[in-house]
Amino acid sequence: MSRASMRCPGCGSSNIVDDDLYCQAQLVCADCGSVVSEGSLAEESFNGPDISYSRTTAVTRKPCVNLIQGLERVKEISRILRVRREIEELALTYYKQAYEHETFLHVTLQRKEILGGCCVLASCRQQRWPITVGTISCLLNGDPAAVGEVYQEMIKVLNIQAPTFSVTDVMEAHCQEYKVSPGHVPEELAEDSKGLTKRAIALVELAADSWIVTGRQPLPIMMAAVYLAWQSLKPNAQRLKMSLEKFCKLAKVQKSKTAGTRITEMKGMLYKLGKEIPWYKEVLTPDNVVSLVGDVLQHRFSLLRRALKSHELSLLEKCPAGQVNPSSAETSSSSDVSEDAGQTPVKSSVNAEKEKQGRDGDESLKSPSEESNPQTQELTQNWGKRVLFAPPCVVNAKRKRAERPPLHVTGDEEISDSEIESYIRTPQEARDFAMMQEKLFTSNNESS
Amino acid sequence: MDESALERYFDESIIHDSNFVLEEELELQGPRRVLSSTPSAQRPSQLAPKSRATGRSGDDLDLSFLPDELGGQNGPGFSSTGVLTCSQAVPPETKVPNDGAAGGGSDPVEERPEAPELSQDSGVSLDCSALASAAARPLQRTPAAELSTAASPFCVMTPMTPMTPMTPVTEGSGIVPQLQNIVSTVTLGCPLDLKFIARQARNAEYNPKRFAAVIMRIREPRTTALIFSSGKMVCTGAKSEEESRLAARKYARVVQKLGFSARFLEFKIQNMVASCDVCFPIRLEGLVLTHQQFSSYEPELFPGLIYRMVKPRIVLLIFVSGKVVLTGAKERAEIYEAFENIYPILKGFRKHLLFLPLKGRVWLH
Repeated sequence: MSRASMRCPGCGSSNIVDDDLYCQAQLVCADCGSVVSEGSLAEESFNGPDISYSRTTAVTRKPCVNLIQGLERVKEISRILRVRREIEELALTYYKQAYEHETFLHVTLQRKEILGGCCVLASCRQQRWPITVGTISCLLNGDPAAVGEVYQEMIKVLNIQAPTFSVTDVMEAHCQEYKVSPGHVPEELAEDSKGLTKRAIALVELAADSWIVTGRQPLPIMMAAVYLAWQSLKPNAQRLKMSLEKFCKLAKVQKSKTAGTRITEMKGMLYKLGKEIPWYKEVLTPDNVVSLVGDVLQHRFSLLRRALKSHELSLLEKCPAGQVNPSSAETSSSSDVSEDAGQTPVKSSVNAEKEKQGRDGDESLKSPSEESNPQTQELTQNWGKRVLFAPPCVVNAKRKRAERPPLHVTGDEEISDSEIESYIRTPQEARDFAMMQEKLFTSNNESS
Repeated sequence: MDESALERYFDESIIHDSNFVLEEELELQGPRRVLSSTPSAQRPSQLAPKSRATGRSGDDLDLSFLPDELGGQNGPGFSSTGVLTCSQAVPPETKVPNDGAAGGGSDPVEERPEAPELSQDSGVSLDCSALASAAARPLQRTPAAELSTAASPFCVMTPMTPMTPMTPVTEGSGIVPQLQNIVSTVTLGCPLDLKFIARQARNAEYNPKRFAAVIMRIREPRTTALIFSSGKMVCTGAKSEEESRLAARKYARVVQKLGFSARFLEFKIQNMVASCDVCFPIRLEGLVLTHQQFSSYEPELFPGLIYRMVKPRIVLLIFVSGKVVLTGAKERAEIYEAFENIYPILKGFRKHLLFLPLKGRVWLH
């Protein structure tokens, strides 16, 4: 369609056609091809409501992929551990909560996975389902220290309290791992799992009373207890000869190195108690005490009492009655025992008297501890040696390195110039040092 | 302690002590300032002048609530309430795990049927039941009972001014934590050329790829300093506040001698670490059960129990051997206070004592 009235500004012809073949309608001169006028793309008016950019371009908010994956992982861990449904659900709730928190929102995926494990751990603890941090870190293939760190942070963030387990709680689950029931191993080496668990728990409780358990990793203690329980339930030559390593191979568990030390400590404790058995006529050493474990456990309270009495007597023989210190140490150990024995009335009245002595003894013990001289160090160190049972770290106290004598300064003294000069290089020294550094630098460059 | 000694003691300090007792009655979780004010000596003669000296005088106290007859009966009657702990016949129905210090937690109250001997070094908290039951005992306690009942509606307490101990030795435990490390910071006030310092100083090391500061050490006091190019410096390793200040000054002097216009500005102690030994083993499992809100004990991760005390804000690492490490303090007094707070709790976990018999102790917690 041509427009008669217009004229092309380029050539002046009036042969102008409407070119609306393509998107924009144009009036074009047919002779020279110049565009006379363009369509009003920009002039089109739109009378609708204002549409904001973000709204038109917004994507519907999908749940975070990592959150979903993390929740799946939590479910996985719970299923592997075969925990109750409530625990799984609680763990999922915790995970969702903790994930959204700023402490955990922008951390690495690995840390988020550890967080998942920690949520399971926390909910197991709250619901009293015994597992250890070691188990969780194994499942996560992570470092227990890292797991611990994330766990502490998570507890703070979620503001929850999750009571820890004692070794005896976890013991039963641990004992299940040992494949020494009659189906798995030959008859002479087999042991019923219930009996084994019961005896192992009794051994752990006894060890706990003798300060072997507090502050230590639970796994080696449990392993040592199971080993000794297994040996003592049928103390024939074959079992007694079997070393810890062979036992672990037999039971198909991984041996822990420190379990050996724990075994020695437990045998020491059993030896101290076994000594008091009146009907055992042979010479007792920590090695052959395993055969007596059954008797020791059965009569442990009375044996403890006897052991304490004889310990006191032996101490009194060593230091004459004038000294109060030994008796104070004894009172603490005797009282330790009385607690174990369920505070039988006899013992507690004995304690009441002893406490008076104990008080005095304690005071005299404390005042020397204020001074810092070798004599008091010896005294304070020796409190471990004087009682019947003490934490092994006290009995085998490491020698303290020589302490610096305290400086008595006011902080505002004069600082001598010569002292300060001694810390500054002489010019010659500085030059030598600079030269040497250069030489090193260039030689490094050449070699590399 | 004999009766006459008690009388003497209480004649002088009865006014102050009544406040202690009443605070205990009214607030189960007694204000910790009560404890911190404590480290008073056991001997009555020492306590009385001290309490006077600190200016915690009876003038501020409103004693109108006291029944009239108490004025004449200062000695035994008062003493039995004033020092529930003093008398030999007082039953040890005291809560050992210290509410005041811990600020919470429900602790089981252990009762012993027979009258125990009293301990000299126990800083034990009393709770209402102990006070009430002790007050109920017929041993010359009528005035005491009256006092306690009359005192219950009494609400206004004059806060105790904490008595900073003259010497750090506290009769409460007799153990003084030894400072092991002090960390302090100083601003030298001018930018520094670390490369130059590392070249010119004998005792400096500088490895920019590893850490962006010069590590300088001096022999006396044996300390280490981190000197940053901004002119800020961190000084560590000193065993006392004065040592730390002297060491920081020496470092500043070295930097000065090297040609920088260093000054000694804003010296501040940031952290103090101390340690001590209570010389008896501690049941960490028990402690974490009763003080769950403050303690964290994970034997799989760390052999010690981490106790975060609220007031003063100190973190204590408590080990089974009885060794205690205290850290996070800005002042020496905080360390001593924290230790005095924790000591009665620890004594409670000394296995054979679930309560602490008391002997002549007035202040408590």
